[in-house]
Amino acid sequence: MASDQALPKAAARPALPVRTRRELTDTQFALAIGMPVFLFLVLVVAYPLGYAIWMSVHKIIFFGGYRTSFVGLANFARVLADANFWWSTWVTLRLTVEAVILTMLLGLGLALMLNRPIVAGGLVRTLVFLPWCVSLYGAGLMFAYLARGQTGLGTSIAYAFGSSLSVDLMTRDMVIEVLAVGAAWTMAPLVAFFLLANLKTIPRRLYDLAALDRLSRFETFWNVTLPPLRYTLFVFTSIITVLSMKLFDFIFVMTGGGPGTSSATLTYQVYKVSFKNLDLGYGAAMSFYLLLLILASTFVLYLVWGRREARY
Amino acid sequence: MIRRRDFGRLAAGAGLALAMLPRRSGAAEFPSLKAGSGQPVYFRGWQYKTDIVQNNVSRYNSTQGGHVDYATVTGDYPAIMEQNLMSGGQLDMLYGNPSQATRYFDGGWILPVEELPNYEEIKAEFLPNLWDAWTYKGKLLGLSYFATTRGVIHVNLKAFQGAGLADKDFPKSWDELYDTVFALNGKGVATPFLPHWFGEWYGISWAFVFEVLNRGGKVADDETHKPTLTTDKTGPAYKTLAAWKKLWNAKLVPSEVLTYNEAAYIAAFGSGRYVFSPQQLYDLESFNQKGKSQIAGFDSLLPVQGQSWGLIDSALYMMTKRERPAPVTDDVKRFTSWYGFKDETGKLAVGERWMQESMLFSAYKSIMDSPTTEARIKQAVARPEDYKAVLDVYKATPYPSGIWKVVWSEEYNSWLKDTLANFLLQDSDIVATITASNDKIKELNEKYGI
Repeated sequence: MASDQALPKAAARPALPVRTRRELTDTQFALAIGMPVFLFLVLVVAYPLGYAIWMSVHKIIFFGGYRTSFVGLANFARVLADANFWWSTWVTLRLTVEAVILTMLLGLGLALMLNRPIVAGGLVRTLVFLPWCVSLYGAGLMFAYLARGQTGLGTSIAYAFGSSLSVDLMTRDMVIEVLAVGAAWTMAPLVAFFLLANLKTIPRRLYDLAALDRLSRFETFWNVTLPPLRYTLFVFTSIITVLSMKLFDFIFVMTGGGPGTSSATLTYQVYKVSFKNLDLGYGAAMSFYLLLLILASTFVLYLVWGRREARY
Repeated sequence: MIRRRDFGRLAAGAGLALAMLPRRSGAAEFPSLKAGSGQPVYFRGWQYKTDIVQNNVSRYNSTQGGHVDYATVTGDYPAIMEQNLMSGGQLDMLYGNPSQATRYFDGGWILPVEELPNYEEIKAEFLPNLWDAWTYKGKLLGLSYFATTRGVIHVNLKAFQGAGLADKDFPKSWDELYDTVFALNGKGVATPFLPHWFGEWYGISWAFVFEVLNRGGKVADDETHKPTLTTDKTGPAYKTLAAWKKLWNAKLVPSEVLTYNEAAYIAAFGSGRYVFSPQQLYDLESFNQKGKSQIAGFDSLLPVQGQSWGLIDSALYMMTKRERPAPVTDDVKRFTSWYGFKDETGKLAVGERWMQESMLFSAYKSIMDSPTTEARIKQAVARPEDYKAVLDVYKATPYPSGIWKVVWSEEYNSWLKDTLANFLLQDSDIVATITASNDKIKELNEKYGI
């Protein structure tokens, strides 16, 4: 047989390494698919974070020749002794609480409205979602016009009723509330759409049973509608908390941190220190306090609310 | 007799020596303003009549074969440009105020004008006061974009005369101005004065600086940059802040002015609600134009009667020093010279156009002395006699060298803006505010080793 004759020839060749298809271990497989993500995270998160840490423990000087010097934790100590930092922390907390409450209430209200059968529902849903698509820069310009006495909504309404009163909402006492309304206007549609998706999953028969039990509208809302929304509400309260604390461009355009420093949040303060005063080390240290505030707020939210919801 | 070998050595030596001479001494002007590299030149500025700028740039590109890429920057202009310069981003020519230019120069980010081959010609054209304002450490930092007086007191003649007052009642000083404001209010004028307290970086902080200057004071010493404000009640800073406090507490000023941008501030005075307001000198033209304001034909200005008004507000075209191929740098110089000085026909074309279109004053003598400029200013003012008042105010305008010809200028300005707004909002103490300003300057001097 030809094959029998061929065998000794083949055997005479130098031995080739035998290729075997070895299965990857779970760890290797996890590493193989996780590595790109890990590298991406290193690039976009760890490197800037590491650089920010480096800056926060250095004094960086650009004028008279670029130079840096290690200062340890001095920048962090300086922040704690800075009255502007504490003022901005208070402004940030006030704005965050107001913006979160308004956003969640508005988002819930919109979701409940959109969950009802309405004429031209698709168009209405698109219109309701539009504010989320407007850039914060554009929204800032618009709200500045609306809130200012000279061009504002309040003055127009007063004028329509025959008054020549100039209604200025950009005052020291009101500016945070105006900012919170503006922030809620831009963020509430997102909340509304996630809540709406959640509402659509509630079985119709639960409402039929509630009707049989003669529950009032409020009791139906409280006992039937709200329970399945609670986890989503918690998640979005956390998200909106973070977004409100990070809010910058809207404030920058609308109030410029003013009048005076009335709306100078921590993000605005970090911007001023870092980019106006070019004190990058100090600005980096301050930004870590902001990070700490964000982490602490979300952690408190989890402790008092999220942990309970997660059990259900 | 020179041997052939010696001649060769001499010629080579002379050639080498010529090549090693500084470029400036080799040529009095550009051999050509035509772009040569084929690469883009990035020109950035703030948003002011961008159609005119774009048109000028297009003319350069079409007549000189340039590839100038023009765009505007929105937001916090000084800070954004500073980040751009620091990072060596795509930026070759930019607008800037002299105080920004000073900082950019100390950062090593801009080229002085002496890098241009026609430097001597430019120098000969400059008005001395602006040469002095724009020169730092012996270097001219840029070419002329505009110069004007910010803080000249505009008068709404319709309201002023309507209250029974005439030119002879024009206030001669800041003290008299405030007295007139309260007198007008006593006569039933609800909003006699719109102060320069708006929320831009050149708003309330500059208002303080020019009022102190006009009252004969200085915020910091011109040479040493040490703080010079005093807390005595007759001092310029104290009198300024005391007048502000009185005005604010009397509720004669709407609090919203603190959050106005410049457009809102101009629109407020143009609405005709106010009698006096410190504004830009060149805005006489827009306030007196029908369709642009409610006081068209009635916007005049307070003349100089012993005391100056406002401060020199000016801007330059600067060349950046970023890393780029030498032919591109040559193109940057050509374009800057064409745009900021003379075009290929030898005309100060861009500067003259700004004068004709927007009444922007120039740092160049030929523009300011020209009969067409005179005609243009006369066309913009409400009354013939205002022409002389415009020139007198402009000539007398001071420049705050002590705080603008120093690296920390922008930082102090940012601090001053917030501090002064808070001074009004929180009814702060005058002496404490002046002391805080002096302390801030000391701190900044220490920070930069001045």
